[in-house]
Amino acid sequence: MPFIKYYLSVSGTVLKFVVVSIPMSVVMSEAIIKEGYTDDQRYEIFNREFMPHIDSMYNFAFRLTTDEDDANDLVQDTYLKAFRFISSFEQGTNAKAWLFRILKNSFINDYRKKSKEPSKVDYQEVETTYNSEEAADTNYTVDLRADAVQDLIGDEVATALNALPVDFRTVIILCDIEGFTYEEMAKILDIPIGTVRSRLHRARNLLKEKLKNYASSMGYDA
Amino acid sequence: MNAPSNRPSAEGEKQEQPMKQHCEHHAECIKKIQAILDGEATESEKEHFRLNMDKCMPCIQSYHLEKCIKEALHNKVLRKPCPDDLLAVIKAKVNS
Repeated sequence: MPFIKYYLSVSGTVLKFVVVSIPMSVVMSEAIIKEGYTDDQRYEIFNREFMPHIDSMYNFAFRLTTDEDDANDLVQDTYLKAFRFISSFEQGTNAKAWLFRILKNSFINDYRKKSKEPSKVDYQEVETTYNSEEAADTNYTVDLRADAVQDLIGDEVATALNALPVDFRTVIILCDIEGFTYEEMAKILDIPIGTVRSRLHRARNLLKEKLKNYASSMGYDA
Repeated sequence: MNAPSNRPSAEGEKQEQPMKQHCEHHAECIKKIQAILDGEATESEKEHFRLNMDKCMPCIQSYHLEKCIKEALHNKVLRKPCPDDLLAVIKAKVNS
């Protein structure tokens, strides 16, 4: 709908709406309509809008957690949350991005804490490292050849991707594997588009370093 | 005024200047190249790309490298489908 933006914040059971530039009367009637989904409508929306994305959602969860059991739990939690909060989903809007956002938030709130990775903020550490090397970054390139990448198999590319800190891994998954636009990624990740762009750039530099290690191990003189 | 009449051919040759082997702002160029490949470049970035892309060897190589990596991620990395039993659990819980 034009003029209305809903921001869903799924954190525990907190559901938050921020309405931008719209008269309250319209907001209220909109809310009444939304809350007024019948059970049949809820199931119909769930099946038609949400279920088609379950493979992408599972793949995203698996790439985030790198663990099948955690991915199972994360996808299940996400879909149950999506159903519980279905009244805040506006039909005709981007269901996939909406679901990915819930999954990403669930991952941060519930799974990242218990994951084997050093507790959170590895992104900030890397970010800080990169920022401190901003000058060097100006001419920073990874000496890697395209034909070396072409000879890598999928498992090697996936392993290189999995070796990235999760925030960098996330932007590459969203952009290159799932094909989201920068604008969609900004909404999923709650960051400005400029940050999407710079984070992608850094993520790809890191990925190139990882790929270079594989290429070198295959005997390519990079 | 005669001199300019000789210029066109000279300039024509000048267009075939040697390919740049070093890019002094390569990090910025890579950002533009990535935006192009992501389909997210601005008009000015597209124009810059169009005018300069065939003049700089490091940028040409980077374009091919970035394109290969993007294609490898999209086409080679195995996509894990949702297991059937998880699908069944979700449907059962939603319907309960």
